[in-house]
Amino acid sequence: MYEAVHAHPDGQSTVARLAKTAAEFSFEGVVVRNRADERAEFDAERIGDEYGIDVVEGIEIDADDVEQASGAVGNYRTDETIITVAGGTPAMNRFAVENEKVDVLARPMTAGGDVNHVLAKAAVENGVRFEFDLSGVLRTHGGRRVRIIQSLRKLADIVDHYDAPYVVSASPQSHLELRAPRDLAALGEQLGLSSSFVEAGLEEWGRMAERNRRIQSESFIEPGVERGRYEEEH
Amino acid sequence: MKHLPKHLRPRWRYLAVEIESWPDASIDRRAFQRECWYAGQNLLGDPGSARAELSVLQFEFSADAGVGEALVKVRHGWTDEARAALACIDEIDGQPVGVRVSGISGTIRAAEEKYLGRRGQDSEERNVVFGNEERVAVVRDESVDVRLDAAFAGTTDLDYDYDLA
Repeated sequence: MYEAVHAHPDGQSTVARLAKTAAEFSFEGVVVRNRADERAEFDAERIGDEYGIDVVEGIEIDADDVEQASGAVGNYRTDETIITVAGGTPAMNRFAVENEKVDVLARPMTAGGDVNHVLAKAAVENGVRFEFDLSGVLRTHGGRRVRIIQSLRKLADIVDHYDAPYVVSASPQSHLELRAPRDLAALGEQLGLSSSFVEAGLEEWGRMAERNRRIQSESFIEPGVERGRYEEEH
Repeated sequence: MKHLPKHLRPRWRYLAVEIESWPDASIDRRAFQRECWYAGQNLLGDPGSARAELSVLQFEFSADAGVGEALVKVRHGWTDEARAALACIDEIDGQPVGVRVSGISGTIRAAEEKYLGRRGQDSEERNVVFGNEERVAVVRDESVDVRLDAAFAGTTDLDYDYDLA
């Protein structure tokens, strides 16, 4: 299972510290998804080897408008393994689910954001995953938390009905905000999401990283096209 | 009053909990107990938290290192609910904390022997260069918490090219 984190300077802890803590919590990997203007410099391989965890390079595009987001997606697609787009407005949500270069629509239900059957169908078609962001359940209280839980349940109903792809994250910004997979699964159960649903959502980050790495590797030519065994290297 | 016959006594599970915060945080047993009950009440409601129990039996926190551990008593069959409630503790007395259930046992002694006292609590202060500035940091078990002007940054010794020793 993987967790998608915001590392220093986008968060308070460095990639190394988040990876170390995540490894202690028995995560198999972390996806670093700093925002474009708060990138972290790190050596994913060295950190991964030291703590025995997969460190995935990603980015979160948090743009003001669709044109800006579209440009950013094009710029980062070739270099980053995972691209998430911060949702929260009808326009950004729609842009993200209609763009097959986007991996994850992050926080679709925050602020003024909403998800409906149209977006769900587009997300299925383009393979864009909806994010279930548990940070609001873990770190807010009172009426705000009630509304966040309501929005997560609404999203769950839609995702369930259309069998749409999704990921789950606690979106930690420091090692203190990380929660262990079992604890998140138990929390999901209380929210009515079922622990297997949460576990599948945490595993999806890893599957996505593996798939994108394969596609971006030099040996990949096109879907369904492979180098035959009779082909000689020149 | 005469105590209950054995088959009527409630059965308990004991959750070993690891707590972490920034250095200098002061967290005592009462504050942690209060947060456990609040978290239980907020997530499980009054009936749920009454049944789950969530009482803190042992508590230890080292302010220098910013780490601690606790033993929480939970009614048998309510461990998942308790786990979920404990995960929702994000700060204690305004100090951000990380919380994790490290293990569950059926007796206090087994929980103590298997899950408590495993983490190093020895810490020391060192000078490090973070963000091109020299800072004071608290080092514990390869983790390095750097004291910034108004906050801390969580790092490890991998973030420094030179050997901290």
